[in-house]
Amino acid sequence: MEELNCKTVLKLPVLGGISESVVVTWIIMAVLVLLSIILVRNLKVENPGKVQLALESMIGWAQDFFEGIIGKENKAYVPYLITVLLYLAVSNTIGLLGFKPPTKDLNVTAALAIMSMCVIEFSGIHKNGVVHWMKHFAKPVPVVAPITILEIVIRPLSLCMRLFGNMLAGFVVLELLKYFVPLICPIPVSFYFDIFDGLLQAYVFVFLTALFMTEEME
Amino acid sequence: MIEINMNLVYTIINVIILYLLLRHFLIKPVTDIMEKRKQLIADGLQSAQDAQDGALKMKQEYEAALNGAKQESVQIVENARKSAKAEYDRILEEAGNKADSMIASAKETIRIEREKTIHELKGEITGLAIASAAKIAGGKSDEERESQLFDQFLRETGEGHGNENK
Repeated sequence: MEELNCKTVLKLPVLGGISESVVVTWIIMAVLVLLSIILVRNLKVENPGKVQLALESMIGWAQDFFEGIIGKENKAYVPYLITVLLYLAVSNTIGLLGFKPPTKDLNVTAALAIMSMCVIEFSGIHKNGVVHWMKHFAKPVPVVAPITILEIVIRPLSLCMRLFGNMLAGFVVLELLKYFVPLICPIPVSFYFDIFDGLLQAYVFVFLTALFMTEEME
Repeated sequence: MIEINMNLVYTIINVIILYLLLRHFLIKPVTDIMEKRKQLIADGLQSAQDAQDGALKMKQEYEAALNGAKQESVQIVENARKSAKAEYDRILEEAGNKADSMIASAKETIRIEREKTIHELKGEITGLAIASAAKIAGGKSDEERESQLFDQFLRETGEGHGNENK
């Protein structure tokens, strides 16, 4: 039971306790930024190396994927979505390295969901203007207005809870399995929960965010 | 286990920072490189297309020029043939004319020559006849009358030979 809680790692005098998930997020950030600095260092237009080709194909795939959903004219949002995708992919699978996944902490998923909400609503307002944004709640008929207004909150809530629930459940199942059958058995289960489910949830999170943005920008 | 606290705000700040950093260090350079390569390829294709177009145009021009030269040469040969024929005809005609005029003048000369000869012969025959007649007559008769007589005789005989005396 103790494992499920996020320990407070250090306490700051004014800001309060900083939990484990935030520290792991820092580590992930440092690793991602360092890796990108190292990988991007020697980019060439002609005769790219294998590493560069792999990097380019990954970024190219992500860009094509998001542009396919939100449209080429809204590609300003693509870097944010790629960032969230990378962050979630790393943090969901970081359990393999012995860290506690930050996404197991409700604070992290809630933060991501709130940011998604902001981006979704901002994209709608930026694209079509405030008036259109206000009016679109009453479509197709004014009766649904309360529901569509609730949707503002429901969409990020579902994003947040889906990610949190998946990660927490995977973590709990894996810890229990490790407790009862410590030998060999956790390996395939770990593959499923840490790699497959982790990457799938990262994909689903950004995919749904992009989808909601498209919906909002219509 | 489930509690919302200040860590939410920290995470939001973290994600925003991560977004800015990754955009600057990862996504922008890679996108720039990919854009540059795309541009390079597009430029290469464009220049290849241009070169091909230019070559095609040049070929057409050359073909047109060649065609023109061929026609011109045909024209020149035709002209040469025509002028040669004209020259040939002219020379032939000239030669014919010259030959005609030469024949005509030769004929004229011959005719004059003969007339002269006939005249001379006539005079001689007349002389001979007069001499022989004088010899026969013994020189008694009047010379003037005899001469007329023989002239008459000759005319009569001459008419028997056709139009030679004319």
